[in-house]
Amino acid sequence: MQDGRNFQPFLAQIWDLLLIELTNWRWSWRSMVVLGTIAPLLSMLGLSVFARDAGLEALTYVLTGNIVLALMFGIMNNVQSHIIFMRFMGSLDYFGTLPVRKSALILAIILAFFLLALPSVWVTAVVGSWLLGITLQPSWWLLLVIPICTLPLSGVGALIGVIARTQAESGTISTLLTLLMLGLGPVVIPPDRLPAILQAVGRFSPATYAASALRQALLGPITPQLWRDLGVMLLLGGIVFWIVDRKMDWRQRG
Amino acid sequence: MIVYEIQNLCKIYPGQNHPANDNISLQIRQGEIFGLLGDNGAGKSTLVKQMVNLLRPTSGTIRLWERPLTHTPMHVPLQVGYMPQDSAALNNLTFGEALYFTAHLRGLSREKARQERDRLLALWQAESLRDRYSSRLSGGQRRLLRLAVAMAGQPSILILDEPTNDLDPQRRKLVWDVLREENQQRGTTIIFITHDAIEAEKVIQRVGILHDGKLVANGRPSELKQAVDQKLRLELFFTPSQEPDVPAHLPKHIIQPGQWLLLLDWAEGTAVLNQLDLKQIDDFRLYTATLEDLYLHYARRP
Repeated sequence: MQDGRNFQPFLAQIWDLLLIELTNWRWSWRSMVVLGTIAPLLSMLGLSVFARDAGLEALTYVLTGNIVLALMFGIMNNVQSHIIFMRFMGSLDYFGTLPVRKSALILAIILAFFLLALPSVWVTAVVGSWLLGITLQPSWWLLLVIPICTLPLSGVGALIGVIARTQAESGTISTLLTLLMLGLGPVVIPPDRLPAILQAVGRFSPATYAASALRQALLGPITPQLWRDLGVMLLLGGIVFWIVDRKMDWRQRG
Repeated sequence: MIVYEIQNLCKIYPGQNHPANDNISLQIRQGEIFGLLGDNGAGKSTLVKQMVNLLRPTSGTIRLWERPLTHTPMHVPLQVGYMPQDSAALNNLTFGEALYFTAHLRGLSREKARQERDRLLALWQAESLRDRYSSRLSGGQRRLLRLAVAMAGQPSILILDEPTNDLDPQRRKLVWDVLREENQQRGTTIIFITHDAIEAEKVIQRVGILHDGKLVANGRPSELKQAVDQKLRLELFFTPSQEPDVPAHLPKHIIQPGQWLLLLDWAEGTAVLNQLDLKQIDDFRLYTATLEDLYLHYARRP
């Protein structure tokens, strides 16, 4: 180093990068929130027709499963499409030539989409509970549960964006995975209504743990299962981000 | 002092057989203005992308201040400001925001980053663009923004990929003036790619010419010109119907009616000028080979 100049602290890097990321949505955030809300609400309306006859438990799965869907649309899909866009449009080159850490950029992207997804999550929860006739009993744990739920989901989105060969491929994988994660495992459908094979497959899906944790934090009661859910999501999130950090080429690309 | 030392650099993109950069060795000295010329596809952008660590060489080494880039990847962003040919990264930032964030991320305090933003807005005569979104700027204004962003935080080295493309003559002059001043006042090392050989000649101190991935020439323009072509160029402008008298032994190239180009040996320059009847011509220009002549000479070689 010739002039003693140094990096900004990690948190300052994240803050600047978060603000830069948020400017990407300064015009489109409203439509983003509306789009992120419509899919879960429509899904909820459709599923509620069948779930009403199945009792309150089924309705709680419909509600929390669709909140997970809002998170997948708002965070997983958007993180995926944003990262692949950055790869193909040269935006990563700009950040790659600045003294910022890759992990700071990834965290800033996820944080930006987390903030943008919160209104959809809130609207889905409130309108959904009204539509389904469920009384919400939110716990303070929700403040911890929602960010932890976003970790593995955003990590999966980032991983798709990092490894996909084209923008079209990335979008297809992400949509397919959203549907699979929603359908394979007790996310919108209670486990006793699922075949054993789907229950088993669901154990490998972060959406299963996110739905379970949200159900407890939003509707109660909090059980020891919540710690298992949070632990698994933290572990999955850690593994996925480790892979993303290794796979994401932005300096020294081949 | 050597800033960049490139040794036997080869770059072959995955899935291709032909190297984009073929055994390039080059040194860039501190405080010099180095121009990279070459035809399209010659490998200029590939070379500079490796110099800013965005691409990994297939073989060979690049050292910045004696440190191999591969060993200290974060060394480059602290020292080098890079202007890519195109980038969508800044599209949703205003001119002022892009400068402020870049300066701050390059290590300046928030207050100094604000001062740097204002300095650059003034330097590039872009105060009126401060609150304009990048996506709503013209092509030329966007190029100025990318130039200003590369300079934000005052890195000691600037690497600029075609800094004057899309610019009108007035802004092109501004770019060369600012770069020359930056080099003279701060000692900034400037490396740039350009197709604008005639204008670049005003600032270039050393030039490298790339052709088909190889560095085919490297040196001071005056040295290269002497090695390639020692002829003087005498351009004559006259009324097409009244051709001037010129020494019969000189080959005449008719550029267009009323404009001839004569190639003279250095030794006969004064004598030929003395023989000219100035009443027969409207205007004349006497010059040595230009950087463009050099570029064409090397770029056309098989």
